[in-house]
Amino acid sequence: MTSGSTAYNLDDRRTSVSMSLRHSQSGRPSTPQHHLRSNNSSFASTSSASSSLRGDEDAIVFEFGSRWLRAGFEGDSTPTCVVGCGPEDSRRAGDYRGWLKASLNADTLRPQPVKAEEWTGAYELWKMDVRDVDLGLVEDKIERMFRETYNKYLLTDAGTARLVLVLPSIMPHPLLSSVLSTLFSRWRFPSITLLPSPTMAVAAAGLRSALVIDLGWAETTVTGIYEYREIATKRSTRAMKSLLQETGRFLTRLSSNSSGDADEISVNFEFCEEVVSRFLWCMPQAGDNGSFTSSQSTDSQGGDSEPIGRDITGLSHKTVSIPSPSNPSSNYLEIPFSKLAEPVEKVLFAKGVADCDLDDEEKPVALLAYNTLLQLPPDVRGICMSRIVFVGGGANIPGVRQRVLAEVASIIDQHGWSPVRGKVIEQQRQKLQNLSLNERPTSANNEKDTTPPSPKTSIEKGDQGKRGNEEDEIDPVEEKLRRNRDKDIKPPVQGVLREVESLGPWAGASLVASLKIRSLVEIEREKFLQHGLAGASRDLDTHGHVPDRRSGLRSGGDRSSWTLAGWG
Amino acid sequence: MSRPFPYAYISCPCADTPVPDPARKRRSRETSHKSNPEDPNAPVPQDYDFEDERTFDPRSPRSNFSLYPPEQLLYCEDCHQIKCPRCITEEIVCWYCPNCLFETPSSMVRSEGNRGHSRCARNCFNCPICTAPLAVTTLENVTGGGSQQGPWVLSCGYCMWTTLDIGVKFDKPTNIRTQLSKMTDSSRGRQMSKTFSDLKSPLSTYSSIDDQFPSPSEMRGDDASPANEQSSGPLNPEARFQALKGFYKSQIASTSSLPNDPLADFGAGFSSPGALNRIMSLYTSSSRLGNLYGGTNKKPKSKPPVMREALTTSEGLRVPAPDAENALIRRMASDDCGWDGMASIEQRTFQSPDARFVEDLLPLPVLLRTKRSKRCKSCKHILVKPEFKPQSTRFRIRLIALSYIPLPTLKPLVPSPFAGLPSVTSGAAPNLDALSPLKTVQLQLTLKNHMFDPVRVTLATPSVTPGRVASKVTILCPQFDIGANSDVWDEALQGSTAPGDARASRSGTLGSTEKVAEAGKVWDKGRNWTTVVLEVVPGTLPGGGATGRNRMKQHYDDNDDDNDDSDADSDVNANALDWSGQTKDPNQQLQPDEDVLEIPVFVRMEWDSENQIDQEQSVGKGQNSDTVKRELAYWMVLGVGRISPEMGF
Repeated sequence: MTSGSTAYNLDDRRTSVSMSLRHSQSGRPSTPQHHLRSNNSSFASTSSASSSLRGDEDAIVFEFGSRWLRAGFEGDSTPTCVVGCGPEDSRRAGDYRGWLKASLNADTLRPQPVKAEEWTGAYELWKMDVRDVDLGLVEDKIERMFRETYNKYLLTDAGTARLVLVLPSIMPHPLLSSVLSTLFSRWRFPSITLLPSPTMAVAAAGLRSALVIDLGWAETTVTGIYEYREIATKRSTRAMKSLLQETGRFLTRLSSNSSGDADEISVNFEFCEEVVSRFLWCMPQAGDNGSFTSSQSTDSQGGDSEPIGRDITGLSHKTVSIPSPSNPSSNYLEIPFSKLAEPVEKVLFAKGVADCDLDDEEKPVALLAYNTLLQLPPDVRGICMSRIVFVGGGANIPGVRQRVLAEVASIIDQHGWSPVRGKVIEQQRQKLQNLSLNERPTSANNEKDTTPPSPKTSIEKGDQGKRGNEEDEIDPVEEKLRRNRDKDIKPPVQGVLREVESLGPWAGASLVASLKIRSLVEIEREKFLQHGLAGASRDLDTHGHVPDRRSGLRSGGDRSSWTLAGWG
Repeated sequence: MSRPFPYAYISCPCADTPVPDPARKRRSRETSHKSNPEDPNAPVPQDYDFEDERTFDPRSPRSNFSLYPPEQLLYCEDCHQIKCPRCITEEIVCWYCPNCLFETPSSMVRSEGNRGHSRCARNCFNCPICTAPLAVTTLENVTGGGSQQGPWVLSCGYCMWTTLDIGVKFDKPTNIRTQLSKMTDSSRGRQMSKTFSDLKSPLSTYSSIDDQFPSPSEMRGDDASPANEQSSGPLNPEARFQALKGFYKSQIASTSSLPNDPLADFGAGFSSPGALNRIMSLYTSSSRLGNLYGGTNKKPKSKPPVMREALTTSEGLRVPAPDAENALIRRMASDDCGWDGMASIEQRTFQSPDARFVEDLLPLPVLLRTKRSKRCKSCKHILVKPEFKPQSTRFRIRLIALSYIPLPTLKPLVPSPFAGLPSVTSGAAPNLDALSPLKTVQLQLTLKNHMFDPVRVTLATPSVTPGRVASKVTILCPQFDIGANSDVWDEALQGSTAPGDARASRSGTLGSTEKVAEAGKVWDKGRNWTTVVLEVVPGTLPGGGATGRNRMKQHYDDNDDDNDDSDADSDVNANALDWSGQTKDPNQQLQPDEDVLEIPVFVRMEWDSENQIDQEQSVGKGQNSDTVKRELAYWMVLGVGRISPEMGF
C-alpha cells in the first residue's frame, strides 16, 4: 500500500492545484449552497475532485418500483433519470443484440405468442411474491442498475453521499434485505434512509393528510394518510400490469383475427407500453358525463361541463391511427378512439363484472378508494376525501382521475357512508326517504345507470342535503367557538371530494431530504453489516416514538438502535 | 448471442462470493429448497457452502451478470484476481461534454440547477425528437448587411426539427443554455395554458421564508380559495417544488422555535400533536380541527403551534382544473395530434413530467460523460487511471486482464479429407450457426499467454453441458503448458518450427499436414500459445417429437438464412425471455437461446512469477523468495454455435 498511498498524495496535490485553478477562474471559491467539493483528503481515499465530507454532499434519492427506478439529487423537483428494467438490461456485457434489433428482419418476424405473465415478467425488477423470485438475480439487477445510473446519469461517485430510498410501505423482508445488503456491501454508503412512498406523495402535494391512490405496476394501493401516518391501506391487483396485459391481448386480437390461446400475447411489449402511454384514455362515468362537480367548481364551470361531456362522448366515433401491432414500423391501423378506452374500462374499473363476482384482491379502483375511505374514522375520512392524491403510472392515463372521483361520488350518493348493503336496507331507506319528501327525490333513480339523472342537480342537491345536515347538528357552543375563530382562521376543506395533485413520491422524498428532516428509518452501515435486518429493534415501545411509528418521519429518539418502523 | 460464433466469455470469480449478510445464508437455503427441482429454468441452488463443487451454468439467468468478454476485465496485481465492473470502485476524474469535449469543472456539474445536473452548460443540445445533436443556425429572414444578426434557432439536421416548432428563438448564438432556461418557465407555462385553456399567468410568486404569518387577506374563506387557485394558474413542477419547499421551511421555522416547548428539538416541528393534552385541547376547542388545518397565528399560549398544510397555489397546492383531463383527451383525439403528435416514452424520459405531446418537448442539453479511475474494491489498488484531459484517450495505469490471463480463441477444426474419423464425412467447415445434433465437431481452442512467465494450464469441463440440451464435450488434452511471452525475436530466431505469426502458422499447418487430433496430445504450440482440440457432440433440442415446433423453427430458419441468425432470433426472444426464472413451462417449449451450444470450461493456471520490483506490487505476505507460485482459477464459457433443430445426415 505504500506505493499506492504516495500515488494518492500526488493525486491530491494535483487535484488541489486544478481545483484552485478552477476556483480562481470562477471567482467564487466556496459558495456554500453550491456544495463545492472541498478537497478534503481526510475523508477520502479517493483522488477525484469530487471527494468531500459526507455532510456537504447532497443526498441521493432513489425510488424503487417494480418497473422503474427513479434517481436524482435531493432538492430537485424531478429525478435526474428514470431507468426501466427490461430483458435488454439483463444481458451479458458485450451483448448488443438490443441495438441490432432495429435491422430490417426484426420487422418481418412475428414475435411468438407468450403467456401474459411471462410477457410482463421479463420487465419486472422484482415481484412482491418472493416465493419464486431468485433473490440473487434481483441483487444482480439492482447492482447493475445502480452502477449504470451512477455512471451514466448521476455522474457522481457512488457511496459518498447519503442514500435515501423511497420504497412501498409494505415490502417483503427478503427483498428489503437483498436491496440493503447489496447496496451496503457493494458501495460504501454511510447510511441508507428509507421513506415510505405514499407519505412522500402526500408531502409532495403540500398536505399532511390525504388519500393516496397509487395506480402502480403490480397493484393499486389506496392508502389513507392522516398527519403523515398511514391509517388504512387497501390494495387491488387491478393495476398497470394487468392493464398492459389486457392491452396486449387487445392488440394481439387486432393483429391476428384467429386467436389461439386467449391468454397468449404476440405483440411487442415495448410497442404495447407505447400504446398505453400514448393513447389509452378513460371514458367519463357512464351517464354522469364526467362532469364531476365538486364543491370547488364554480357555477360557470358547472355550465361548461355539459358540453365537455358531450364532447368526450362524441369523440368515441372518431378513429385514430396507430401503428399496426403486427408490423409497427411500417403500417398504420385505423381503430376507433373509443376502443382505446376499453382496456382501462375493463381492467381498472371492472366493467361488465358484477360486484359479487369480484374477489377481495381485485376490487375496481373506485370501489377500493371508497372502501378505504369507509374504513377511516369519520373525521379522518372527511379530511382525506377532500385530499385525494393520484400517483403511479396509471394516474397519467387521461380521464382516470375524474372517473375514479365520479364513481366514488356516485357510490357515496348511492350508499352514503354505510357498509351495509342489501334489499332490505334499500327498502328501509326508501321508506325513510318517502317520509321526508323533500330530501333527495332522485336517489331511487340513481341506482340505475340506465336512466341518468342530470348530474349537476343531483349532486348539488346532495351537497345541499349535506350542508343542511351539518347545520342541524351544530350546537351553540361550537357555533360560538367558530365565530371567534373564523375571523382569522380558514377552516380546512373537508367533506367534499377533491383531488389534489402531487409531484410524486420521488419529489416528496427529495423535498423531505432537502429540508434535512430525518427519517424514522435510518440504517447505519456498520450496524446493518453486523446483524442485517435482524438487528432492527422491533421493540418500538421503548423508544418513545410509538405514535410516529407509521409516519416515516422521525421525531427525535435515541440513535443507539434502529428500527424498520412500518417495514418491521 | 449477438456475438458471432465462436466466442469466449469469462466469468468473474466475484460471482461466487455471496453478499455478506448474516441473515442471508439461512434464507437462500430456504428459497433454494422451495424451487421446483424438475423445473429446468429454476435457479441453480445457491448453497454457498458447496460452491466449489458447483458447475457453472452459462444458462442460469444470474450468469449473465458475471460473464464478461475477456477484453472488458481488469486484473488486480495485489489480490492476483480478475476484476469485473462489479468488484471495482470507480472515482470520477473529470466531467466533459461528449459533444464539445469541453471539461466541466466539478463545481459546475451540480450547480446548474434542476434538470441541468450533469448536462453540458454550453451550446450542446440533443434533439428531443430523435436525439441527434442540434446545431445553432440563424433564421434566414434577415438578409443584407446584418445577415448574422437574425434570431437564432436550434435545428436538427436529421429530423429537421427546430426550436421554431415550439416557438423558441434565441437572441444570441452563444449561451443558449442560459437563454433557454430563462425562457423555459414562461414557455412551459404558455404550453400548459394551451392545454388548460382557462388558465393565464404561468408563474406566480411564491411565498418567501419570511412570509410565515399570512395576512388575513391571504387567508380567504373556503369558497373564495378555489377561484383564487384557478386564477393564479398552475406552477410548473419546478416552481411548484420550490413553492412547497419555501412553504415547508416557513412552517418549520414558525413551529419549531418555541422556547418553552419541551419537544423543542428539530424533529418536533414536523411531528404532529402527539401529546395527549394537545389532542384533548384540540377536541375541546373545535370539532372541526380548525386550528390544525387553519392558520397558526392566533394561538393560545398553552398550545404549541402545529404545522398546517399548504392552502394556496403560492404555497404549492395544486387542485387540478375539473376539465383538464377532458381537454387532454380531446387534444389526443384531435386530427392534428395523432400517433406522432404524442411523445413516446423514450422522448418523455428526460422531459418534464407534464410533457405529453410532441410540442411540449424541449431540446435537451447533452448529458455529460465522465472519465473514471477504477480501484480494486478489496485492496483499493488502482487498476485504471485515465489522463485527466478529456481530449486525451491515453491511460496512465491500465491493468487489463488479458495481459495476465491467457486469451482464449476458439476455431472449428477443419478436418482434412484423409481424417480417419468416421463421423466426419465432409471436408467443409461446419456451419456454426446451424450445428447438426449428434454430429461430432472438433474445435481448436488456442490459449495465448501474455505474461512473461510460462504458464501451466489445466482445463476442466463437465462431460455433458448443463441444461436440457445435453451436449457431450471432451477436451482431448486438458493439461498443457504455454510458453512465456518472451521477445518476439526469440521465436523468429528459433527457426522453422513456428513461423512468426501465430495465425499464419495455424492456417499453414492445417493446410499442409494431415493431422489427427489425438487424446492427450497438444494440437499445436507456438512461442506463447498452445492449441488443444475439443470434441463436441451437440445434443438434440428438446421437443424433438414436437414436430410442429420444429417445423416452425425450420421454417423460420429457412426464411432468413442469409440474415444474421442471431439478429433474427433476438426479436423472438425479446418477448419470450424470462430473466426472473419463474417459468413453469412444459418442456416442449424451447427457451430462448437454449439452442446455443455453450461450454463451461474451468481454467486453472499456475505459474512461477518472479517477485518483480518494477511492476508496482505492494508488500504482500509471503513474498520473500525470488519466485512465488501463483495460481488463478476461473470459469470460462465458450460459445460454439447454434444447434439446428433438424437432424443433419
